Amino acid sequence: MNANLRRHWLLQGIVSLGECGIFFVAVLGALPKSLRYWRELCRQVWFVGAMSLVIVMVCGLFVGMVLALQLYYTLSIFGGTAALGTVVALSLFRELGPVVTALLVAGRAGTAVTAEIGLMRATDQLDAMSMMAVDPLAYVASPRFLAGVIAMPLLECVFNAMGIFGGHLVGVSWLGLDNGTFWGNMTSTVTLHGDVLDGLYKSIVFGGVVSLIAVFQGYTAPPTSEGVAYSTTRTVVFSSIVILAFDFVMTAFMT
Amino acid sequence: MSHDQTASAKHEPSSDALVQVRGLRTRIGDKVIFDGLDLDVPRGSVTAVMGPSGTGKTTLLRHLTGQLRPDAGSVRVDGEEVAKLSRRALFALRERIGFLFQNSALLTDFSVFENVAFPLRQHAKLPEELLRDIVLTKLQAVGLRGAAGLMPSELSGGMARRVALARAIVFDPMLILYDEPFVGLDPIALNQVLRLIRTLNRTLGITSILVAHELAAIRQVADRVYLIANGKLVAQGAPDELAHQNSPWTRQFFGGEADGPVPFHYPAPDYATELGFAGRAQ
Repeated sequence: MNANLRRHWLLQGIVSLGECGIFFVAVLGALPKSLRYWRELCRQVWFVGAMSLVIVMVCGLFVGMVLALQLYYTLSIFGGTAALGTVVALSLFRELGPVVTALLVAGRAGTAVTAEIGLMRATDQLDAMSMMAVDPLAYVASPRFLAGVIAMPLLECVFNAMGIFGGHLVGVSWLGLDNGTFWGNMTSTVTLHGDVLDGLYKSIVFGGVVSLIAVFQGYTAPPTSEGVAYSTTRTVVFSSIVILAFDFVMTAFMT
Repeated sequence: MSHDQTASAKHEPSSDALVQVRGLRTRIGDKVIFDGLDLDVPRGSVTAVMGPSGTGKTTLLRHLTGQLRPDAGSVRVDGEEVAKLSRRALFALRERIGFLFQNSALLTDFSVFENVAFPLRQHAKLPEELLRDIVLTKLQAVGLRGAAGLMPSELSGGMARRVALARAIVFDPMLILYDEPFVGLDPIALNQVLRLIRTLNRTLGITSILVAHELAAIRQVADRVYLIANGKLVAQGAPDELAHQNSPWTRQFFGGEADGPVPFHYPAPDYATELGFAGRAQ
């Protein structure tokens, strides 16, 4: 019985994965047509990007501050506090920036996108568009997908900037580290190609993954209040797992 | 009308039919919705489709617009086999069809004006001034020109339905499908909507198919009524003619009787057994 259930559960997972793959291809296919709806794309970039700025900035600041505190303590054991700026920057650029930004966007914008599309499905708005000969994939799904891909790396840059600012606040203003040492070591060690761009590539991939999951979950949400609620939850759960899994795979290839 | 007479409800194919349905068979899950449905809708007519709840009236509309594919049979609209159309051709056909959804389906992010303007903005590159005039004309026709700036959340159910109606007719399509257009309308709005449907039909020759239950309203507006039950067409004719037919179907449906060929109760186990009364008398 359990084996049957597990097989069923596995089958369901594989079927969903296949459906998501087909949906991804359809969304990509609708991308050229969706560029006609550039206003909608701008609106979505505003919604995913600008509306997530506050949470990304605040979280970036605190992550940078905590990083600086923890690393200062660890580095002081080995007498290497001069490297604080470098280590904070590397941690942010290579790992924490892309990953935490993606998790935050999945929680704030991803859930909203899923709920919005799910409700559009439940209230026949997607069918109405289709009946008015407007492809909902091109008008609704593709702009939201593209908006995530565009907004995520921009948000990651803001997160990193705020994180470094937070690290500077703690390291230099509070713990008394030399300002020149903090910036000098950082700029001489962190490279554009190896560190900054690698983080940006991750962010672009995470942006695509989070948007795809959010849009797919909304598009396929059962047209009930419970169905939309479950789909919204699934967006956060699946996005979080996939972000961390992709992060491992990409890090393994990049290092 | 006897069952033999019911069989005579089958029509001869019409060469001037905008909509032709032949041998339509549809099954959703385990439920058979249509079991060999045939009907024609003449060009330029107002046709009402009636029948008990759950009999597939909305499903029929979804077949006409290609939202559903039949298991067997054919659905032709303006000579085109809907199920065989490519996506592009289907969308081209839909540009010529207006659809009024049962729950209005207004786009909640847009104002009333933008909802009505939506199809025009997508498919016609009109100067903003002309577009504005067209939208306001349609809103005036449904009595909601003054509500152009409101959001859908600020509308009552009846108002939302009238906005959806304005949106459905904004392109002056060749065919308008109305799914329950009279629900939630007050008598004044109902009268105006009836007049609008009739005017669109007479002045522009727009073919209309109405799914509705309000016999009094249908008598005023429809040229022909199709009565569907048990997956088949069981009666057809002019509204007055149909209301006076002596068929078990029409007698039960128009008389609102619980007993007849259409069961009022959904299939269930024996009532007394389910309540635990069976065998107690012994």
